[in-house]
Amino acid sequence: MFSYYFKLGVRSLRRNPALTALMVLTLAIGVAASVSTFTIVHMMSADPIPEKSERLFVPLVDNGSPDDWVPSDGPNDYQLSYIDAANLLKSGQGVRRAAMFGVPASIEPPRKDIPAFSATGLAPSRDFFAMFNVPFRHGQPWTEADDIRGADVVVLGRETAERLYGDASPVGQTLMVMGSPFTIVGVVDGWAPLPRYYKLVGGNPLGTEEEFFIPFSSAIRHESPHAGSMSCSGQRDPGFASLLASECTWIQFWFETGSRAERADLQSWLGNYVDDQRKLGRLKRKAPNQLYDVMEWMEELKVVGNDTRLSAWLAFGFLMLCLVNTIGLLLAKFSVRASEIGVRRALGASRAEIFRQFLVETGVVGLVGGVLGLVLTFGALALIGMQGAGIAKIARLDWQMLGLAFVMSISAALLAGLLPTWRACQVTPAIQLKSQ
Amino acid sequence: MEIRPILSALLRNKTGPVLVALQVALSLAILANAMHIVNERRAAMARPSGLADEHATFYIQARTLNSDTAEQQLATRNREVAVLRAVPGVASAAMVTQMPLSRSGSSTSLASDRRQTRQNISGSTYISGDSLIQTFGLKLVEGRDFLKHEQVDVNEVANNEPPGQVIVTKALADKLWPDASAVGKPLFFGSGEGARESRVVGVVERLQAAHVNLEERSEYSVLVPARLYGRPGALYAVRAETGQRDRVMKEAEEALRKSSASPIIMRLKTVDQDRLDLYRTDAALVWMLVTVSMLLLLITCSGIVGMASLWVTQRRKQIGVRRALGARKIDILRYFILENVMITSAGVFGGVALGVGLNHLLVAKLEMARLPAGYLLGGTIVFWALGILAAYGPAWRAASISPATATRSA
Repeated sequence: MFSYYFKLGVRSLRRNPALTALMVLTLAIGVAASVSTFTIVHMMSADPIPEKSERLFVPLVDNGSPDDWVPSDGPNDYQLSYIDAANLLKSGQGVRRAAMFGVPASIEPPRKDIPAFSATGLAPSRDFFAMFNVPFRHGQPWTEADDIRGADVVVLGRETAERLYGDASPVGQTLMVMGSPFTIVGVVDGWAPLPRYYKLVGGNPLGTEEEFFIPFSSAIRHESPHAGSMSCSGQRDPGFASLLASECTWIQFWFETGSRAERADLQSWLGNYVDDQRKLGRLKRKAPNQLYDVMEWMEELKVVGNDTRLSAWLAFGFLMLCLVNTIGLLLAKFSVRASEIGVRRALGASRAEIFRQFLVETGVVGLVGGVLGLVLTFGALALIGMQGAGIAKIARLDWQMLGLAFVMSISAALLAGLLPTWRACQVTPAIQLKSQ
Repeated sequence: MEIRPILSALLRNKTGPVLVALQVALSLAILANAMHIVNERRAAMARPSGLADEHATFYIQARTLNSDTAEQQLATRNREVAVLRAVPGVASAAMVTQMPLSRSGSSTSLASDRRQTRQNISGSTYISGDSLIQTFGLKLVEGRDFLKHEQVDVNEVANNEPPGQVIVTKALADKLWPDASAVGKPLFFGSGEGARESRVVGVVERLQAAHVNLEERSEYSVLVPARLYGRPGALYAVRAETGQRDRVMKEAEEALRKSSASPIIMRLKTVDQDRLDLYRTDAALVWMLVTVSMLLLLITCSGIVGMASLWVTQRRKQIGVRRALGARKIDILRYFILENVMITSAGVFGGVALGVGLNHLLVAKLEMARLPAGYLLGGTIVFWALGILAAYGPAWRAASISPATATRSA
């Protein structure tokens, strides 16, 4: 019976072409608007590293000035001072620790046909690569010893490597970075997580691949300027040494623990560390010390911006409107078929049977609307993607969203069809037959 | 008037009217909020930067690859500014630390009083040894520009002395000294004991910060007279003669390359491009909201037309009977239009309530601004007009039903 009703439903699409087209279009637009905006929210808020997002933690130590500070002001900054970053690196807490800051650098290619250019890279400590599962195309990360020595070694991003050396492995070659010869030890294999959760403070969360990586200690040794934000309260003396000794915050830090349960240990260790520092006369604010795992960190730093949420909310409201509209149109469509229902009922069809027939028919409308909605969704996402390279990578339908789009349009149609269908069942056969 | 019979007819068959009213309410709530956000963003995007000729202004970030000493670097920079000024079509050029709207620059904590710590204001800091009033074309509203001897050379790695004089924007001056002239007042960089004091010598009408957002502090900028050196890389702001920017950009780049013995890394960008990049997401949001609003109106319209047509079809016989009993065409027309106005009104009232509710939600959850009543009023008028317009077609068809055909089959 289902397939018969299905056929009837398909046929009835043609019976009232203008009305049906309007219904299908309304559903399709509603679904496209909500699915495309929801896709952006979904992609931005998806767990970027599901296998260990609960074991990666950002520590926050508030070193702001205590003057006139009240807890409701929130933390001074989301980054750490060099003093704290260096101490946490040495702490041995967790299984891995990574401090990092963005570095701008001039790169002088060995090939004479490419002029020198400036690039933005990252200066992390060695654990960074293992911590964030960074895949390598050639070579490997630098060694622990390189970290300690502050060696002049560099890991290139894939695009940079291909631009300078083509497809061949450049490992072992020397490259002029920041005016000094650096030895290439590896090439990262196109690693650019979106959003860029590992470095959310400063810069676009939808940024592109890092162009190069040099050891944190090496960047410090070269007194590298930093790319990103820096927050200093109060006065500091000029010079790099005084920056390192200052309470300026500019470094981002991550811990990796062996298991989720070790979070409490890390938290209490951090508490002790801050207490020790207070005894030394630092960290005068009595602010709580925070640990954020990946998802909490993305939430705290509002990776999904208010504008993105707003779009999704309004699109959802728009879908509601489309639903109400469809209910009205379906009512209109079914009401002209009262006599047909009367005949069917008189010939012995039960109310349940009528209900099924009309629900299948609305399902068919939903199906067509869904297919059209998907097409429109691709169009809408392509439009959204035109805003920039980063968002273009986000504005893509994955299987989940594809399924959601489909389920949404069919269930929307069915939901919209419930009331009209129920009304159709109420048709009294006697009156209908009499009036014929 | 026939309000009572229409009302009782409506109450007998509520589903359709309720659906239409619901559509109107939803549309109005979304439309009013969307339009408010659109206008707010558009106003923010249209705020002037303070530059006299934004379209003609661009900047060059240049970095010479050599191992010069800090003093040699300073000489190079002075030479490069001179090279830029010599390019035909350059109206003015200056070395500066940051550009407005560029989203890259630094800000300093400022106060009008040394003891003041909590209410410190963050001001975007433009440091330049040249006259930014000339290069940016700023409008001086009070005081004076920096004097030659005030524009000093400062090695930023070795020296940390406070600037003696500063120029502030009007917005910043009004914030720091709400009821007095800013000129001659001490301005403190930082807070507490270590705060460095300098003196305000002038006020410019407007100069937006490097980091611009929707808030008032986007115009809190401070100009500091110093030629900084000691770190690699320099930024030159150039204002070309009107209409010659693109040619000047090309020639300026060539001239700089030619003038340098060692390789030089350069990045040129126009202020127009910075503005575009800065407001890209806002523009996208505006675009999205306008599209949704248009669709919203279209769909609501189609809903009203659809339902009104349905009622006309359902009531063909009654209309015929009424016409046969002496009702004129205009009576039928009025009946349907009045009916629709009543439904739309119910929807509009619901929509105003829903719109206020939605706005509360947006304010609380998404930090949006409060909705002025004007938008709800405007929405109300739009939907009333829309309701009448949309109902007019079906109502006219109803009025055209001939009593003979309508009563025949009954």
